[in-house]
Amino acid sequence: MSAPELVTVTVDGREIQVPKGTGMVETALSAGIEIPVFCYEPRIGPPLGACRMCLCEVEGMPKLQAACTLTAQDGMVVKTAAESPMAKDGQEAVLEFILLNHPLDCPDCDKGGECPLQDLTFRYGPGTTRMRFPKRTFDKPIPISPLIALDRERCILCYRCTRFSEGVAEDGQLVAKNRGAQSIITTFEDEPYRAHFSGNVTELCPVGALTSTAYRFKARPWEIQSVPSVCGLCPVGCNTWVTTREGKVVRILSRNHPEVDEGWICDKGRFAYGHLRSEDRIAKLLRRVRRRGFEEVGLGDAVADAEAGLRQAGDSVVVAFAGTETLEVADAISRIVRGTLGSDLALLPEEPIAALDAWRAPLSALRSMQVCLVLGDEPVVERAPGVDLWLRAARRAGAAIITVNPAGSVQVPPGSAAQIAAALASGQVSGDLVEVDRVLREASRVAIVWSEDDPSGGAHAAALASALGLGEGSAVYWLPRTPNGKGIADAWRAAGDGRPTQAPPAEGEIGALIVGGDAATADPRVLALAERARFVVTSAMFMSEVASWSHLLLPGAAPLERDGTVVNLEGRPQRQHRAVQGPGIDELVFWSELAGRFGIAVSPWPTFEGVGEQAALPARAAAATVQAPAPSPPADVPADGFALLTYRAAFSGREVDHTPALDFQRPLAEVELAHADASRLGLAPGDAVVVSSNGTSRELAVRVNRRLLGGVARIAADHAAGLGAQVEIARKA
Amino acid sequence: MSGPRRVLLEHAAEHDVTKLSEYEKVGGYESLRRALGMERQQLIDEFLASGIRGRGGAGFPMGRKASFLPKPEQTPKPIYLAVNADESEPGTFKDREIIFSNPHALVEGVVIASYAIGAKGAFIYIRGEYFTEYEILVAALEEARDRGLVGSNILGSGFSLTIVVHRGAGAYICGEETALLESLEGKRGQPRSKPPFPAIAGLYASPTLINNVETIATLPTILRLGGEEYGKLGVENSAGTRVFSLSGNVVNGGNYELELGTPLRTLIEDLGGGVADGRKLKAVIPGGSSVPVLTPDQIDTPLDFDSIAKAGSMLGSGAVIVIDDRCCMVQLALRVAQFYQHESCGKCTPCREGTRWMVQILRKIESGEASQNELDLLLNVCDRILGKCLCPLGDAAAMPVASYVAKFREEFQRHIDEGGCPFGGESSLEGILSPVDQHHQHVRARIDVPLPLADPTVAGRVAAS
Amino acid sequence: MAEVVDLYDQIQEIADRYPVRRSAVIPALQLAQKTYGWLPPHAFRQVADALELTPAYCQSVASFYDMFHLEPVGKCLIEICTNVSCALVGAQQVLEAFQDELGIHAGETTDDGEFTLRTIECAGGCGWGTVVAVDHRYRERVGAGDVRGIVRELKGLPPEDEDEIEEEAQ
Ligand SMILES: Cc1cc2nc3c(=O)[nH]c(=O)nc-3n(C[C@H](O)[C@H](O)[C@H](O)COP(=O)(O)O)c2cc1C
Ligand code: SF4
Ligand code: FES
Repeated sequence: MSAPELVTVTVDGREIQVPKGTGMVETALSAGIEIPVFCYEPRIGPPLGACRMCLCEVEGMPKLQAACTLTAQDGMVVKTAAESPMAKDGQEAVLEFILLNHPLDCPDCDKGGECPLQDLTFRYGPGTTRMRFPKRTFDKPIPISPLIALDRERCILCYRCTRFSEGVAEDGQLVAKNRGAQSIITTFEDEPYRAHFSGNVTELCPVGALTSTAYRFKARPWEIQSVPSVCGLCPVGCNTWVTTREGKVVRILSRNHPEVDEGWICDKGRFAYGHLRSEDRIAKLLRRVRRRGFEEVGLGDAVADAEAGLRQAGDSVVVAFAGTETLEVADAISRIVRGTLGSDLALLPEEPIAALDAWRAPLSALRSMQVCLVLGDEPVVERAPGVDLWLRAARRAGAAIITVNPAGSVQVPPGSAAQIAAALASGQVSGDLVEVDRVLREASRVAIVWSEDDPSGGAHAAALASALGLGEGSAVYWLPRTPNGKGIADAWRAAGDGRPTQAPPAEGEIGALIVGGDAATADPRVLALAERARFVVTSAMFMSEVASWSHLLLPGAAPLERDGTVVNLEGRPQRQHRAVQGPGIDELVFWSELAGRFGIAVSPWPTFEGVGEQAALPARAAAATVQAPAPSPPADVPADGFALLTYRAAFSGREVDHTPALDFQRPLAEVELAHADASRLGLAPGDAVVVSSNGTSRELAVRVNRRLLGGVARIAADHAAGLGAQVEIARKA
Repeated sequence: MSGPRRVLLEHAAEHDVTKLSEYEKVGGYESLRRALGMERQQLIDEFLASGIRGRGGAGFPMGRKASFLPKPEQTPKPIYLAVNADESEPGTFKDREIIFSNPHALVEGVVIASYAIGAKGAFIYIRGEYFTEYEILVAALEEARDRGLVGSNILGSGFSLTIVVHRGAGAYICGEETALLESLEGKRGQPRSKPPFPAIAGLYASPTLINNVETIATLPTILRLGGEEYGKLGVENSAGTRVFSLSGNVVNGGNYELELGTPLRTLIEDLGGGVADGRKLKAVIPGGSSVPVLTPDQIDTPLDFDSIAKAGSMLGSGAVIVIDDRCCMVQLALRVAQFYQHESCGKCTPCREGTRWMVQILRKIESGEASQNELDLLLNVCDRILGKCLCPLGDAAAMPVASYVAKFREEFQRHIDEGGCPFGGESSLEGILSPVDQHHQHVRARIDVPLPLADPTVAGRVAAS
Repeated sequence: MAEVVDLYDQIQEIADRYPVRRSAVIPALQLAQKTYGWLPPHAFRQVADALELTPAYCQSVASFYDMFHLEPVGKCLIEICTNVSCALVGAQQVLEAFQDELGIHAGETTDDGEFTLRTIECAGGCGWGTVVAVDHRYRERVGAGDVRGIVRELKGLPPEDEDEIEEEAQ
């Protein structure tokens, strides 16, 4: 694209050169001239021009203009309130109107001290109000969800929150009701605002109307510290500001990385910090004495134990990575195990393939795609929430979003992704895929998003990308399941100088087992290994069966409690900073000590070489041709009964389990059925049914999904435990 | 010569032209036949030549607006026509009568206009309250469709047009063109900030021509007489006729089609039969409740855009409201302000907050509890609204109220000095209950205005029985 | 409460008239209100489901417009225009007459759920005030004196005079 033409605009007598079409607010700002705004927020869509705070005088226009709705045109002459009496008068008028019904309770408002309205009132506002009537009053703060409180008296109706809900997250749940002075922000029938990104409205609100219940009255701006970090709860790696007070995390805010998150974070990343302070955390370095009994040990002894255990095991050491370890920890473990002990045995959370790096691109590139093909049965919003926002942004920017899954725009049986990819790659398509194939081949900017666990997924995605000849401007986003699984796989690969990873032996004794984190302790395969291991060292935040099998227990650190590098789904290494002290010792210190015992130098603290606070994305690798394995056949949809489709909800897992405030965000105990199936069984939404297979049965409520493929029953994994691939559904007697 | 001259409602009086057959007997749809044989541009030139200005309120030349749209061959997007039948400006009921008594003129005008701009789809946004008129219009449309006057390949010309009649649901603001588009798109009817203008990005972000019912319904007449000829009707800058809605304290209220330039007196006295009950004329609102008021000494002002403007008001929607000496101007101001508060869409701050504040102040003045500086405050609030809002609704509240104070200041003063209404309860507007006072709009807000009658907590609910 | 009627297919028909389906929101809500008399929560769920919107969105739209009832109203809706033109010719007296006849205030519904009375802004019949809309059918030039007869008619009672004779007989 050619550079946009520069135009010259005069603001308050200063000549400013900006690209044609630049917003007037930004134009003025580039010359250090501030135009106050409330409703203007470019990230949530086109300017609204509603609050009128930004009124300016524009030469040649009789009326004052809302600067936020103006764009830079050559020769434009603008006067802000600083220079134009007319604009000043307008601004004073607007501010008086805004404050007319706004309570003057700044001292006990959570926004106090960081409130745009408060600031602007101090700077431009009327000292006194001429309002002699009772202000509009509402019932004092009401919860619009367990996470968010709404104080309607403070609302200035800038519609930032509702525009976010409708136009960014597209959840359509937070809306304006009524008309005129009676307008209020609300949800449907006062139901909770239950959506993956709801918390962002507390940051968008320019006054203290929408606040985080968790943060209410917790701290005043002058008592807090802010630490830049990166969310460690999913592979997107949104950048964050962690607010701490007296060594505790009290709030997490977004830290806009335009390529990664655009300043949005999901409610898990924003609110799950609650789990840090749960009582049942493993707080000490523990050594098992008698069976299932633990005693505290010092670092030295722990390292000695570990060294002994590993040396005895020799090359029979298995590493079970959790996918949450930092690059530094993974690197230390890998070098000890592969480098010195010479064992290549590991359970890796992900198997990314290097070839995909040829289509690496920032998430923000999604917005400029013509077509986004989403393959895989796991809803993107559940697997990597932030990516869902980018896909919606892409659609709004005109991209065709093609989702191929049992509930997608193209409906296919569960587990079809690999086959679809292969079909599209070979060009041998039929049915709906013919059109998909045409669209894909006609487009020059295509993104492939892979959203499910299939280990061959990476290969299929890469094979399809090369078959379509995707190049510059196109991209592949293979969504890992774990926050740092991609980085860990790389670290493990690097330490093995070329040797392939070995799968742990199916039976027989194992010398030693290293369990990297809680996610791994939840894996039944790991438990099986632990039972057969002579020595087990586990790092975990919470107790589990695997943990209790361990000989050495390292108190796991949450991402907020450690320094380290994590690689997100784009392949971007990012910095996590310790915002608060964890209860135990630093994991990296332990592993570097241990590495030392094996003669390997590992720094006890991250060096973050080449990784900035706003990290850059490494360049693309050269294209490589990929051989995808023959795709495994999809699940067959039974003639009678249903094929079970499960997904791991974003609001699940250890962090959420230990954050009560997030309970309401967990998936409801529901089974999704196609409309036709529901009516065939005479089931209405909300009806109670029993879903059963091979002995197990679960009681769930019916949810009708008009987009779901017939014969498929979709249930969140949390509610599907024990159910087999095919299930029966019957109305609850 | 000026006076009653019916070209639009000409035949409606004698024949039931709601019937297609009758309408055709008096030359109906001949203009359409002629139009379909002309070039698009020729048609727009006819509109330009006629000099017709919009009849909805803003008075923008119709032909100019039509020529702002890209030609079909210049844009990949579909082009639309949106007819504004939301008629809600207090005092206005002309569009209703046009649809009621001459619906085919509108249908014919819609097809002509659509053909001229190359629209494939036309939408008539009719206010929800006009239920009978909706039925009449839909029936006329059906008839026209059956005769191939609307639909695909109209009269074999190869031109196709679908017309959708869309009912509003009760919101004055939806008469504002961009709010109308929002509402038509299934949203809350809140105005958009311009630019982009509808001609470039209107309905569904496509080029859209928006015109008032009367404007569109006049097009067949313009083609029948020819643009030039039509332009000879009326006076300079105000070509043609307009249907004036006459109401208030007058003997014969109703709609009167007059050549523009006809003196206000002719309408009120000769046609309207003068002030009712032998009362004295106190004031006249010449263009709907949103325009500044005129006083009896201005009754000879000709009804055309320029003359009314010179008199300090606006022709607006052509609604003439006659007010006699029984009316308290403070109560009038209050009632007008209440209307605009009720109809304020709530999007922009000055209108939403300002209209509400105006009502609060006016109520206090009316009740006689206001202090002197609150009268000045009222004017200052009007001034702080004027020219600062997203759309003209805020001005529509501020302008008339400011004009009442300007022209009847002593009456406002007496409320303050005498601690109450000098009419002592005898004003014709005494105790009038406006919807803002009554509807609680389902907000759990403690409404801070005294509720003359209804209790907000029970209003609208079925009492437990 | 009235039981739920399936409106899905009817709403699809409406939606098909428009280039963009969202345009069907208001007509669909009008259909739902015709069906249920007002807009109960399930009506919003139905419209939302049929148009792939959220109930919150549909309610947000409905609450913007005066003609949508977010709470139950009587079987018969009597609306009196109290805007300037009608007010100048006695709308207040007409309103008071209705209040006396029905025994309720404006904005209220009779205990038997038969009548809801409310004032409205300009109805567009200004030249022939006072305008009274009964279930959206206009009656014009209504004076306070006509109200009694209108209410009797709506209640299905015989015109006044016969009635009086009976009264005298007693
Ligand atoms: C608050 C407001 C209400 C309006 N109401 C109407 C209306 O009810 N009918 C109408 O035709 N125009 C109305 N207008 C004017 C329209 O915005 C628009 O100018 C007009 O429909 C264009 O048609 P015309 O050029 O044929 O007059 C209103 C404008 C405003 C600001
Ligand atoms: S709640 Fe806050 S963000 Fe939402 S409209 Fe009110 S002031 Fe704006
Ligand atoms: S910031 Fe420009 S109108 Fe709100």
